[in-house]
Amino acid sequence: MGLDLIFWLVICFPLNVAFLASAFYQVLILSDLESDFVNPYDASSRINYFILPEFIGQGLFCALCLFTGHWIMFLLTVPVTCYHVMLYMKRQHLIDVTEVFRVLNAEKKFRIAKLAYYLTIIIITVFRLVLMGVYYLDSEDE
Amino acid sequence: MGTENPGRPTFPSRPASSPFGAAQPVTPFSSTGPVAGSEPPPYRPTPPAPPQAATPFSSAGPAAARPGAPGFRPAPPGRFSDPSIPPPPRASNAPPPGGPYQQFPAAPFPPTTQQQQRAPMMGQASQAPPFPASLPAQPQMPFVPMGSPPSQSAAPAHLGPNAPPPTFQPTFPGYPSKQAGAEMQAPPMHSNFPANQGNYGPAPPAAASPFLSHQGGYVPSPPMAPPVGMQQPGSVPPMGSVQGLAEDFNALTMQTRPGTMDPLFDPKELPRPLEGDVESKNLADMYPMNCSPRYVRLTTSAVPSSQSLASRWHLPLGAVVCPLAEPPGGEEVPIVNFAPASVVRCRRCRTYVNPYMTFTEAGRKFRCNVCTLLNDVPSEYYAQLDATGKRVDINQRPELTKGTVEFVAPAEYMVRPPMPPVYFFLIDVSISAVRSGMIEVVANTIKSCLDELPGFPRTQIGFATFDSTIHFYNMKSSLTQPQMLVVSDLDDIFIPLPDDLLVNLSESRSVVETFLDSLSTMFQDNVNLESAFGPALKSAFMVMSQLGGKLLIFQNSLPSLGVGRLKLRGDDSRVYGTDKEHGLRLPEDPFYKQMAAEFSKYQISTNVYAFSDKYTDIASLGTLAKYTAGQVYYYPAFQSAIHGEKLRHELRRDLTRETAWEAVMRIRCAKGVRFTTYHGNFMLRSTDLLALPAVDCDKAFAMQLSLEETLLTTQTMYFQVALLYTASCGERRIRVHTMAVPVVTELADIYRLADTGAIVSLLSRLAIEKTLSQKLEDARTAVQLRIVKGLREYRNLYAVQHRLANRMIYPESLKFLMLYGLALCRSTALRGGYGDVPLDERCAAGHIIMTVTIKRLLKLLYPSLIRLDEYLLKASVPADDLKSVERRLPLTGESLDSRGLYIYDDGFRCIIWFGRVISPDIAKNLLGADFAAELSKTTLGEQDNEMSRRLMRVLEKLRNTDRAYYQLSHLVRQGEQPKEGFLLLANLVEDQMGGNSGYAEWMLQISRQVQQS
Repeated sequence: MGLDLIFWLVICFPLNVAFLASAFYQVLILSDLESDFVNPYDASSRINYFILPEFIGQGLFCALCLFTGHWIMFLLTVPVTCYHVMLYMKRQHLIDVTEVFRVLNAEKKFRIAKLAYYLTIIIITVFRLVLMGVYYLDSEDE
Repeated sequence: MGTENPGRPTFPSRPASSPFGAAQPVTPFSSTGPVAGSEPPPYRPTPPAPPQAATPFSSAGPAAARPGAPGFRPAPPGRFSDPSIPPPPRASNAPPPGGPYQQFPAAPFPPTTQQQQRAPMMGQASQAPPFPASLPAQPQMPFVPMGSPPSQSAAPAHLGPNAPPPTFQPTFPGYPSKQAGAEMQAPPMHSNFPANQGNYGPAPPAAASPFLSHQGGYVPSPPMAPPVGMQQPGSVPPMGSVQGLAEDFNALTMQTRPGTMDPLFDPKELPRPLEGDVESKNLADMYPMNCSPRYVRLTTSAVPSSQSLASRWHLPLGAVVCPLAEPPGGEEVPIVNFAPASVVRCRRCRTYVNPYMTFTEAGRKFRCNVCTLLNDVPSEYYAQLDATGKRVDINQRPELTKGTVEFVAPAEYMVRPPMPPVYFFLIDVSISAVRSGMIEVVANTIKSCLDELPGFPRTQIGFATFDSTIHFYNMKSSLTQPQMLVVSDLDDIFIPLPDDLLVNLSESRSVVETFLDSLSTMFQDNVNLESAFGPALKSAFMVMSQLGGKLLIFQNSLPSLGVGRLKLRGDDSRVYGTDKEHGLRLPEDPFYKQMAAEFSKYQISTNVYAFSDKYTDIASLGTLAKYTAGQVYYYPAFQSAIHGEKLRHELRRDLTRETAWEAVMRIRCAKGVRFTTYHGNFMLRSTDLLALPAVDCDKAFAMQLSLEETLLTTQTMYFQVALLYTASCGERRIRVHTMAVPVVTELADIYRLADTGAIVSLLSRLAIEKTLSQKLEDARTAVQLRIVKGLREYRNLYAVQHRLANRMIYPESLKFLMLYGLALCRSTALRGGYGDVPLDERCAAGHIIMTVTIKRLLKLLYPSLIRLDEYLLKASVPADDLKSVERRLPLTGESLDSRGLYIYDDGFRCIIWFGRVISPDIAKNLLGADFAAELSKTTLGEQDNEMSRRLMRVLEKLRNTDRAYYQLSHLVRQGEQPKEGFLLLANLVEDQMGGNSGYAEWMLQISRQVQQS
């Protein structure tokens, strides 16, 4: 019980909020770039700054789900982790400043999809937390 | 003329016409004469052709009509009486209504006199003969007088000649007065073109004239040729009945040769672009204030009015822009200075003032042609309007009458003071560079160019050399000798001196000269094998980052030390044909992309000269040029004795041509259309802004557009290319090219106005880009598929009304597309697989295709092959008369006669081919005493005899047509393997070779695929 609480509240929730924020920021920069509010050099360096930390964090989170036995969460996160690993292996994970406009649309879509995905994870997390809280209160009452 | 072959094809068809033909054809080009009367026509009207094209419009009512008809046939007049016979459309536009009639009668006489002059015409006319039937097209004339209202014009396209001709005339007059109201004109335009096109079958003669330019001597014949099977149908219908039907029919050039059972294309009838690239004149007539096609060419000079229409045009839709092309014939681009006012622009869409803007309210306001916003005229720019609504000062305002102007940009167009021209040379001095003699050639060439570097007296110059260490040179003007500073710490690069590495040329001139004199001897005994290219690049960047400028890299070996070192790759044949194949054509180390991005940011443009005889990874090095608007020059296995001349010329051209510095380019268009992708050497700084640190007249950029709105409501679409740059003199300028094109609603119009040159340019750039992410095979298939789709859609337009079985149809405007597609697939960049072309050469060829102008690209894809021995031997032909060596031959082995001497010129090199049984004195005279020696060791130099001087003259002429590259001559003897194979035979694109299909077979493949829909 206590471990579970730590998992959901201390690890899962903040991590995913961070992922969500990072994805949101990246989408924001990309749309700024599209409407010419930022130059491609700044845009790609700002985005690239967040990419590796996000990949590592996401990978760790996935591993943690596996080791703590949260199978559903693990199954949810593992495809994304695999995709990240694949991008990294192909060396396509960073935004290439010289080609950024050519891939702009695809990158944006990819990030919006990730945004939705992280949001889903957060909803699940919150749901589990609430569930846990209700359960905990219930058991207190008794 | 080159068209012996072409000539023949016509032969068969001729019969009908021949009686007439005989008389006139003879006149024009007697020289070749062997052929019977009928042949002459084929002979090539070509050279003259261009002028002709002009004529129709020139006013020459009479001119237009006459030659065609009269020349070849007396018969016409007779036909004429038949009201139904339409006069050739072209005739219609030129002459006043009455004209046609008179002319015909007249025709018979003029033949002798006029014909001579009009030789060109005649030639065409003669081709026409096959069509005697064709005359029918002409009846139109009668209508003309009535001057049909422009309104009709819209529909006409389909109608074919009937409708169009009438419209034709109206438009014409309209021109002068109506310039402003471009919209108005647009519609008419359409109509008239169809007319032209329509002529194919019957009207060919007519057709010819409008299109002359395209046709070349060659073309005309194909249409005729089919006589055997297909032609009959073609010609018959027109006579018979429905004119509309006939027109459509004619509009197609079809060719088939039912041989026995299988459809086969007779190679002699296939269209060949022996005239080279011909710029379309369509728009020049419609919108005389447009910029010249040498600056901007659209793949089709019409914008589809709806997305659904655009989606049926399967070929690329876009533009090819060469913003600094050398203006034609010594014209100068007018420079306009608005000071003290700012540049006049639309306040909403930022369009620059141009001839299509209309002034209203007594001159106080102007309406933007692009976004229709009503703007105030700045008080400094105010002028009254005259009675016709034009500004009274229009004649003093080139920006209101010309499609291409330059504005002087005021301070708000600068982020920093205009930079001076900066040249920095980074030279490899490792042992291989020393041995090849490259250093000496480079040093001498630079020295000889010092006086001609643009931008005196502000020009700055600097040098660095590298092997396993980096050497800088302090050239401070107070020194008498340059001081060499060596940096050997490659991991932590620093610049030994903050200033004085880049110095003002006029101040330090003597130091620079001393340095260049000593450069080649300085490293004479260098035995260093290594190349610290990456660190050297970084240090050059540090030196230049203050100002920007041009960085010229001379690289002779694979970078082996420090950051950016590269591995040998590309020698593994197993990678080809797998999914990893494209990786070989991409930069291996991201360092190069990063450096390129930094270079572009700091306004540095990089030109890479590579010389190695081993693998140098052009794919990686070329990246530097790719994103900085640079260029790649590749001299495989450079030896100064052999290739020195080429390097000298190309480096000189690079250093002395007019260059625009720290430039950005944008192409604007009206709402509803947007440019989506850009192809070429540049870096995008925002979605539609091309950053070009240095750009010159030899670079072209391509872009594709897409429709954003489902339906365009305007009649005319405007494009405006603006290049903001710093001229070498230090003035900030904006070069603006404005172009108006009609918006059309019919697919047929889009095809009619298509521009093969621009399409091929875009297609090849797309194909090269495809090779960077996919296999070569896929890129070739994509090209073929695109062509097939385009032709299939075209076929579907006509499949309903006509029996098309066994025939391949294509629009007149795209008749060379198939051949260029084939040539593209067989070009150095896309050909074969591992064994066919060394990887470096392939990458270098790809880089060339991505930058060159349309003209050069077409020349590269379909080089000229010219027979020289007659010119060399015939003393009677004056040496200045180079006309006889303008006749290009089809690129097939059959064109080569073993008694002849031929020159093959693709714009990058010349190959001189000696036939096996060529007369010995030719060889002796041209090559001197060692004529029997192996040709690879012989270089071509001028000998002291007339024949050799003549050859030199020919070479000089070929080289002078376009100086962007220098054609080094290679000599080859017939049967000298393997040299003959890879130098010449592999490049005869019409012949089948190895796994590559020949022209006839390729056409067959395409036509099969087109028909399986």
